[in-house]
Parts: sequence; structure tokens; C-alpha cells
Amino acid sequence: MKISSMGYLIREGFKNVWSNRMMSFASIGVLISCLLLTGAAMLFSLNVSSVMKSMEDENTITVYLKQEFTTLEAVKIGQEIQKISNIKDAAFISADEGLQQYKEMLGSLFDGLEGEENFLPHSWVITMEDLSQYDQTVAQIKEVNGVESIRDRRDSAMKLTSLNQLVSQVGFWVILALGIVSLFIISNTIRVTMFSRRLEISIMKSVGATNRFIRVPFIVEGVVIGLISAVLSTVLLRLVYNSLITGMNQIVPFTSISFDRLIVPIILGYTIAGITFGALGGMISIRKYLKKDGGEIIGW
Amino acid sequence: MIEFQNVSKTYENGTKALRGIDLDIAKGEFVFIVGSSGAGKSTFLKLIMREEKPSSGEIIVNGRKLSTVKRRDIPYLRRTMGIVFQDFRLIDKMSVYDNVAFAMRVTGASSRDVRKRVPYILGLVGLQSKARCHPSELSGGEQQRVGLARALVNNPSMIIADEPTGNVDPALSFEIVDLLSEINRRGTTVLMVTHEHTLVKRFPRRVIEIKDGLVVGDSGRPEVQNED
Repeated sequence: MKISSMGYLIREGFKNVWSNRMMSFASIGVLISCLLLTGAAMLFSLNVSSVMKSMEDENTITVYLKQEFTTLEAVKIGQEIQKISNIKDAAFISADEGLQQYKEMLGSLFDGLEGEENFLPHSWVITMEDLSQYDQTVAQIKEVNGVESIRDRRDSAMKLTSLNQLVSQVGFWVILALGIVSLFIISNTIRVTMFSRRLEISIMKSVGATNRFIRVPFIVEGVVIGLISAVLSTVLLRLVYNSLITGMNQIVPFTSISFDRLIVPIILGYTIAGITFGALGGMISIRKYLKKDGGEIIGW
Repeated sequence: MIEFQNVSKTYENGTKALRGIDLDIAKGEFVFIVGSSGAGKSTFLKLIMREEKPSSGEIIVNGRKLSTVKRRDIPYLRRTMGIVFQDFRLIDKMSVYDNVAFAMRVTGASSRDVRKRVPYILGLVGLQSKARCHPSELSGGEQQRVGLARALVNNPSMIIADEPTGNVDPALSFEIVDLLSEINRRGTTVLMVTHEHTLVKRFPRRVIEIKDGLVVGDSGRPEVQNED
């Protein structure tokens, strides 16, 4: 195909998007919701993984002792704990140090709780040798006299993992359904205008246009819709993500993944998805009209 | 130019549209195809354009057996024929010029060729002054001349006109046939389906009559072609 023809065909495709703008908007809207949901699910999953990774890095548990112990007694209990075979390391955190840590994390909320007012017990931070014996070791620690409670990060890690799994499973089906719906809507958008275009197609066929020539503007139309959706989705996702992360960080501080670090794969993914869906939609819409052997010319 | 060898066409629903047709139309001829509706005229045209395949028999167009024409070559076969429709089939959102240029564009013609050829063809059908008009602003006769210009623009070796005067004021019908005769004089084969006997009487040409899928009359080529 000649370059000049290609230029003509691409212009036709763009023109079609504009002359059917109401339906183009509908397609773009659906495609955007599909892309946004996919992106949101992906970002959620990435953040969960990163939070879990940082939790695993510190595979420690905090053992809180009963409130009434003096520092000396607390150290003694710690020595008891260290006798358990799977314990690699144990660090003592006094009630004062514990308070200091909270202050660093959460700030002024803990002002004025020093000394007598301190409600925190002494604690030990334990590192294990072998994580596969985690449950037995925790049980053994609990049996040591004077241990009040154990703050177990695994519990929250498990909750996060199952939430992540749920999100990716539900997300997969939602995205699949939306994908099919958007394909359907794009092809229908293009097809709705087919009645007036059937005339054009019959004329094109009667003067000897090849199927490829007839098909190109439809594909261009789909691709344009896909590209517009990709760009708008990227902008919207960034907006939504950044405001969500800021909001969540005010409630629970955590290290989130910055959107701009992921912008290249996101733009790339959206562009590819948009083009693929758009082109597919365009091809589906025209297929029926090119399928017949010679096409419809007389009595279309 | 066009040869039908014992051609039959039976549609899937059992309709026998054509039943063993033998025909030979030479290059440069002007032929009227007449017959009542449902006689098989449309099928006859569809077979020539390779919009349908015959159930049996062979059709030869421009020396090519249509049974050997591959699907992807059909567009190139069609470029050798210009088709004129009863309902004009003009795109109303396009100007007269663009309607004609469009037909050239879709065959991959360059902008330069389009700019050179379209005004020439519009001049041929006497519409150069209406190039910027839209089809809805034209009379039926003028619209059909646009249709004719579009059929001619790719320089086909034959014109196939399917009741070209059917939607045109009877007084202006002659104008269309005059134009087709002029095109024919320049060497293009013309095949015109019609049921208007006044036209057939006025323009003494070869007349092929189709009835119930059979050729029931063929006047043969008149010795002298002159019209009053």
C-alpha cells in the first residue's frame, strides 16, 4: 500500500472518531474504567507485596512482659527466654525505650507519659534462627513465666496476603468481564454507524477497493479510541492513586510505591492494551461486512 | 468481452434465478438488458461483477474465466468495470467532487492523479460547475451524472448500469442514455439494464430480454447504430 493512501486512510479513521463522537465517548469511557480498575488492582497488589517484604525483612517478634516487673526482673525473664533453642538473638527494650520508639513513630500523642505515667511494659525483641519452627517457638515463649503477650507480625502479614489474593482473584474476573464488555462496546460503537457506512462500503467495493483498504479506517478508529483512553487513564490513575496514598498515609504511615517510578510500565501497558482492544473492536465491527465472498454491491 | 457459457444460478433458498444462459457481448457494444423484475437481471449483473458465483457454467470477462479469479483479485476485476446504480448511491455528506474523488482514492490513486482526473471527468458529464455542490442540491438527472462520473473515473473498460434511469425524470432519462452512448462511442462497452421500452425504442441497440432466468430474445447487434 502506498504511503499517500495510508495517510488518506488514517485521516479517514480520525474523521470517523469525530463524526461518531457520542459513541466514541462511550467507548472511551468504558475502556477507561477497565484500564483504571486493572491499574488500581495492580498498584494495590504491588504495595501489599512491598509492605510484606519489609515485614519479612524484620522477622522479629516482640515479647511483652507483665507490667509489674522491675527492669532487673525483666532481664532475668529474658535470659529464660534465650534458653529456648531456636532463638538467635534477643534484645531488651525497656519501657522507657519502648515509649521513645512510639514517640518517634507517632509523635506528640505520647507526650507526658514518661516515668510513672508510662503504661508500656518491658519487652524483648526476639529474632529466630529457623522460621519454619516459628509456631513451636512462639508456643515455648508463651510458656515462660512472666510473658504477657506476643506481638506477632505474622498475623497481620497473613491477613494482608489473603486480602491481596482476594483482590487479585476478584480483580481478575472483574477485569476480564470489563474487557469483554469494552470490546463489545467498541465494536458496537463502530457498528452502530454501519448503516450509513454500508453505503460507503458498497460503493468502495463496486469501484474495486480491496478489503484491506476498507478495513484500515475502522482499525484506525479503534486504535485512536484506545490511545485516547490510555492517555486519560494514566492521568486519572495518577490522580486517584496519589490522593489515595496521601490519605492513607495520614491514617497509617507506610512506605508506598511512588507512581512516577512506575509511570513507564503503566503508560506502556495502557498503550498496548488500548491499541489491542481498539484494533480488535474495529476488526470485529467490520468483519461481518467483508466476510461475504464478493461483498454486497447490488441490493446492499 | 463478456461471455456466458451455459450459466445457471440457483440460490440457497432454491430460487432458480438463471437457467442455462449463453451469451456473448463483444468489446465496444451497447446492450440493453430488459425483463420484468424477478426475471434474473440482477443475478446476471451480480455474476458479471463476481458478487455471486454461478451454480454451473462459466463466465468470461475480459478474457478471464471468473471461476479462476481468486477472492483477493476480485477488487482488481471490478476496477475494469464502472457500476451505475438506480438509486445513485452518492454519499450526501461529500461534495460532488469528493464523491468522484473518493472512488479514485479507494483504489489507491495518488492525490496528484485525483486532482488531474476528477475535473476532467466532471467536465465530461457536464458538471464542472457543480463540483462543490452536495448531491441533495442536485436534480435526479444531475445526481445520476455524478454516479456516471464516479463509474468512469477509474477508466473502466465497461460500464454496467442497473436501471440508471429508474429514479430520473423521464424527460431527463434520454440525457443519461445520450451520455452513455457518448461514452460508448469512445470505446467503452455499455451494459444497461432497463424496463423502459421508450428508451429501447428510441435508441436502437442490441436488446437482450431475460425472462424466468432464460434469454428469450436477443436482437443481435444492429447493423447501423444511429439515433434520431
